[in-house]
Amino acid sequence: MKPPPFGYERPATLNAALSLLKNDGGKSKIIAGGQSLVPMMNFRLVRPDRLIDINRISELDYHRIEGSQLAIGALCRHAGLKESEVVKNACPLMHAAYHWVAHGPVRNRGTLCGNLCHADPASEMPAVVLATNAMMVLRSSGAKREVPAGQFFLGQYETATADDEVLVEVRIPVAPKSQGWGFHEVSVRKGDFAIVAAATTLQISNGKVQAVTIALTGVGSHAIRLPQAEKALVGGKAEDAAFREAAATCASAVSPNSDIHGSAEYRRDLAKTLVYRALRDAGERCN
Amino acid sequence: MKQIEVTLKVNKKERRAAVAPRLLLSDFLRHNLHLHGTHVGCEHGVCGACTVIVDGVAVRSCLMFAVQADGCEVTTVEALGTINKLHPLQQAFWEEHGLQCGFCTPGMLMVAMELLSKNPNPSEDDIRDAISGNLCRCTGYQNIVKAIVSAAKKMRTVTEAAA
Amino acid sequence: MTSHLEDHVIPPSRQREKPRSNLKWIGQDMKRVEDPRLLTGKGKYIDDIELANMAHAAVLGSPHAHARVKSIDVSKAEALPGVILVFTAKDASEQTAQVASFSSPPVPQYCMAIDKIRHVGEVIAAVVAEDPYIAQDAIDLIEVEYDLLPPNSDPEKAILATGDAVLHPERGPTNCAYDQEFKFGPVDEDFAKAEVVVRRKVKWSRSGAQPIETVGAIADFDEGTGRFTCYANTSFYNVVNFVIAGALKVPPTHLKIIPTIAGGSFGSKIFTHRHVALTCALARAAGRPVKYIQDRVDNFLNCDAHGSDRVYDAELALKRDGTMLSLRFRVIDDYGAYFQFGVGHHGNALAQVTGPYKINSIGLRVIAALTNKCQQGAYRGFGSEVTNFLIERIVDAAADQLNIDPVELRRKNLIQPHEFPYVIPTGNVYDSGNYQAVLDKALELVGYNDWKKKQAAARTNGKHIGIGVATCQERSVYSPTEWWSLNPLSNPGFALTSVPEGVSLRIDSSGKIFAQLNAPFWGNSPETVVTQILAEQFTVDPSDVVIGYADSDAGFNGFGPGGSRYTVMVTGAIVTASGKLKHKLKKLAGHMLETNEEDLEFRNGTVGAKGIPGMEKTIAELALMGNFFRMSFPDDPEFDSGLETTAVYDHPLSSPPHPQRKHLGIFYPIMGHMCHVAVVEVDPETGKVEILDYAAVHDAGTMVNPQTLGGHIRGGTANGIGSVLFEEYKYDENGQFLNANFADYGLPTVAEMPKDMKIGHLETPSPYTEYGIKGGGEGGRMGSPSAIARAVEDALKPFGVRIDSVPIPPAKVRELVRAAQS
Repeated sequence: MKPPPFGYERPATLNAALSLLKNDGGKSKIIAGGQSLVPMMNFRLVRPDRLIDINRISELDYHRIEGSQLAIGALCRHAGLKESEVVKNACPLMHAAYHWVAHGPVRNRGTLCGNLCHADPASEMPAVVLATNAMMVLRSSGAKREVPAGQFFLGQYETATADDEVLVEVRIPVAPKSQGWGFHEVSVRKGDFAIVAAATTLQISNGKVQAVTIALTGVGSHAIRLPQAEKALVGGKAEDAAFREAAATCASAVSPNSDIHGSAEYRRDLAKTLVYRALRDAGERCN
Repeated sequence: MKQIEVTLKVNKKERRAAVAPRLLLSDFLRHNLHLHGTHVGCEHGVCGACTVIVDGVAVRSCLMFAVQADGCEVTTVEALGTINKLHPLQQAFWEEHGLQCGFCTPGMLMVAMELLSKNPNPSEDDIRDAISGNLCRCTGYQNIVKAIVSAAKKMRTVTEAAA
Repeated sequence: MTSHLEDHVIPPSRQREKPRSNLKWIGQDMKRVEDPRLLTGKGKYIDDIELANMAHAAVLGSPHAHARVKSIDVSKAEALPGVILVFTAKDASEQTAQVASFSSPPVPQYCMAIDKIRHVGEVIAAVVAEDPYIAQDAIDLIEVEYDLLPPNSDPEKAILATGDAVLHPERGPTNCAYDQEFKFGPVDEDFAKAEVVVRRKVKWSRSGAQPIETVGAIADFDEGTGRFTCYANTSFYNVVNFVIAGALKVPPTHLKIIPTIAGGSFGSKIFTHRHVALTCALARAAGRPVKYIQDRVDNFLNCDAHGSDRVYDAELALKRDGTMLSLRFRVIDDYGAYFQFGVGHHGNALAQVTGPYKINSIGLRVIAALTNKCQQGAYRGFGSEVTNFLIERIVDAAADQLNIDPVELRRKNLIQPHEFPYVIPTGNVYDSGNYQAVLDKALELVGYNDWKKKQAAARTNGKHIGIGVATCQERSVYSPTEWWSLNPLSNPGFALTSVPEGVSLRIDSSGKIFAQLNAPFWGNSPETVVTQILAEQFTVDPSDVVIGYADSDAGFNGFGPGGSRYTVMVTGAIVTASGKLKHKLKKLAGHMLETNEEDLEFRNGTVGAKGIPGMEKTIAELALMGNFFRMSFPDDPEFDSGLETTAVYDHPLSSPPHPQRKHLGIFYPIMGHMCHVAVVEVDPETGKVEILDYAAVHDAGTMVNPQTLGGHIRGGTANGIGSVLFEEYKYDENGQFLNANFADYGLPTVAEMPKDMKIGHLETPSPYTEYGIKGGGEGGRMGSPSAIARAVEDALKPFGVRIDSVPIPPAKVRELVRAAQS
């Protein structure tokens, strides 16, 4: 249906956008790609008083290697990241996960930062930034702060972004060449939000797990890391049995909700299967 | 709420209007500009019937506000061809029976246009990937894929001949 | 011809045009006439039409499943600038009357909820405003207080509910709208002599058409004439227009409906009478033309076109060698809040309830439950796709239980080619067929034996490939005895007996043939098919034919597409109409050429003397003379001016039911047949199903346009894949509709379809229809659910999983595997 009325500003610079947000009482919403926001407005589930359109702030449209980090700006579209050789090399996990994200036209407009701020509990990219230990860079009119991904996702559609803040950048440590990764997802149809998806990175040394990250989406109100399972793996043999046990630990650790696409029990079960498969793949990629 | 002046190119013609911020691009094209070829199926960004090209990329026009298209170049199905001079894509859809009710067709043509402009020699998997965000309830899709394969081949032949 | 049933006669064939091989246009893959304008975005769908001074409507749907409106305050909505009027139940009850219902006794329904609300999303108020955005703003400002009533969500519980939980207390103190038992043939005796009885409980959950275009109407009330004009993407306007007029409290002459092309229907736009009536009422109240385009969410909530929602308890009686004897079942169908087509969805299924098999008797009990959900309507198959599913599930169950190969079990019981016309126990007739040939062709097309080998090899590698074969009927050309023949004998109700179709033809003075159709375009190909038939009849080029769509003033007798009937019926009407015009053209030519009419023939767009090339007159010349130059001809009324005619064609083969319903007569005999073979791979750990390969072979009699028929097979198969793999309209125990949008209710995309679905055709012409054509529009949806379900079951054979309910999304498949493992 048609959206409710709202005011509209289209600042030319980031500072102008931040100024508009300041003292706004949270009544405005930033719009970049709009692929998540506009449907909610068309359903009249979300009724911002004002939209602040940042699509013309070209200074935010970049992704590049800065030292040992991949820096992705707020206006970077999914499409650009999916096609990028830079991303493929620096963050192969993200490159692989993009196969599962939405569809072409949605990726043409939608932005990574917008997706992360929207924080859909079944979206793929939150799991990816969790598994890669990304850092979220938030700017407000007077300040800048960095929030690790692990502290960024707080609940369903809820992040650490304050009302007067914009997520201006995501910084991802460039993946070491020796790092393996794995991504597995089950969705009803290709391109749908995940029922459950698992993302992992893995480093092995002398047949033992040196470092591992495991993230899941679709298992609760927001994407999560699984520190208990990760700790148990580190230092142990990088073998099938260990991966299976880690997967089982993850399944016990999550408290998914039941909804129309799957019961809590099914999601837990999927978590176990997909974490195992992701770890197994990551292990193979380490060699 | 106050109206906002927008100026944009639609099918290579400059158009100017004062619009409410909430006017969807799909409604602007259809009801302000009377370009009815772009269809509206859901208004929640899933069916793809409203797909148009904005600054060279396929976009769901029900998820964009007309004010956001200010300064942009928009292409709709009306720019592709006429009944006396069909675009090779339209000709191919006709020959391969790639449409039945026709409602999803303009959206399919637009994503096919975008695909072929970036990749003149797509594989069938590339084509499936490109149209996977466009719903069709009539055809089962296989003839649409066939049509795009056929059109791509014809368009490559024309390009090669011209070169 | 008499049959083995009491008082059952198969009428003689009225076929005039015999099937034959020397046809020029029929059988051609002619490019569609409809396409150029659709491809260039010039289609003129309902929302493309703009009238001067047009206003826009939006509706308020109930948030509750069962309630009364305690109070409604529209003052804020009315005060919003740009709002023209707010229309409430009070206005509807004063200005409108009941909308049509084909059930007997009818379940009353109005264009919006009048006395109480019976499902979530039922319309309780409407707004007319200057634009649709303001209309929606005003909807948000309407304040309603509700008195809640107990919601009914489970059909088994609903039929036992009493008091306030009864949806239509004025109709009786129960939510059970129908409960009847039927026996056709010696069911009890056949079960008594059975050596094996296979039992299955089968559940089919509701899904729906969801065409990409929703329902729409633009109405205008002319105060000068008191007449409504309404553009709408509905069907049935050329037959029961007067009924909608009645709902508007105007005489039957006071409503003109102009059809627009529809962006898909699949049955859901067969009769959008509620939408049309509401839009007209709003236009009259507003004093301006009003456009109302249904929102997608409303298309889920209140489309009045949900699909079947059934639980079967079924038994198949067989001999130990696999010979089928009898089938009986109890079925409860959750009809939702209204009952517009009665149990027609079960009646039509009785046309083919024994499938393609020689089953001697059939017993059934049909229970229709009313619940607080959107009512059922028509969705591609109209309920017989579900009975097909039941039959194939229980036949596969029999194969498993008897340890007989499922293909061989089918082969053993298939009706033989020499046994047609075949009378089934319910009285319907299968006109022609060769089921063995269709089966063989499908198995060959998919490479069945190769897949069996690949399957065996895959199993040793721990991969689960499954193959499912389904042999199903596709009845075509419905006659409405399917609807009313099951109505109680005491109250038979609306007694239609034929469902005729009309067409108007004229030839203008330039020799062009104009045809006016009394039916709309839905994505089927009426213009193309009619062009091909006319080109064949008159030996002209397709470019000499012009097709138009008659509105309800100009046309009559047109039920339009539905029940796979339109091509056959309009062809019948065309043969009649062409016959009249060809007779006239021959008379004119005979005079001009001084030749006897018996010595003339139509050839290459002329009428000429047989065997004498060059001695001929073009149709254009004849038409010019016949329209303008009366005095060049004798003073015989047969030469009077004009080359125009109308013809109405009745159902080519139907007969009334037995007075005591010992059989249902012949009501859907033009019988197509299909074999679908699906090959899937199942991931038992996640429940994901991938379709690896697929073949469908259909016999729809003589094909007019194989390419467009193939389109229906492919599209219908996609619909069936959706219904079986993931589509379900989900209501919770409070009647809340949980997934009423395209994000949460997914339609198949290209990614869910097999990459290379192979289709094949076979033609066993009907002895009863013109050229032997049969209908094929319901297509693949009649067979794909059975093939896919069996393939998944076959893939999971090592786990002992049975697929007894659909849909089977990943969560469900995984649940079945886990249950089987524990």
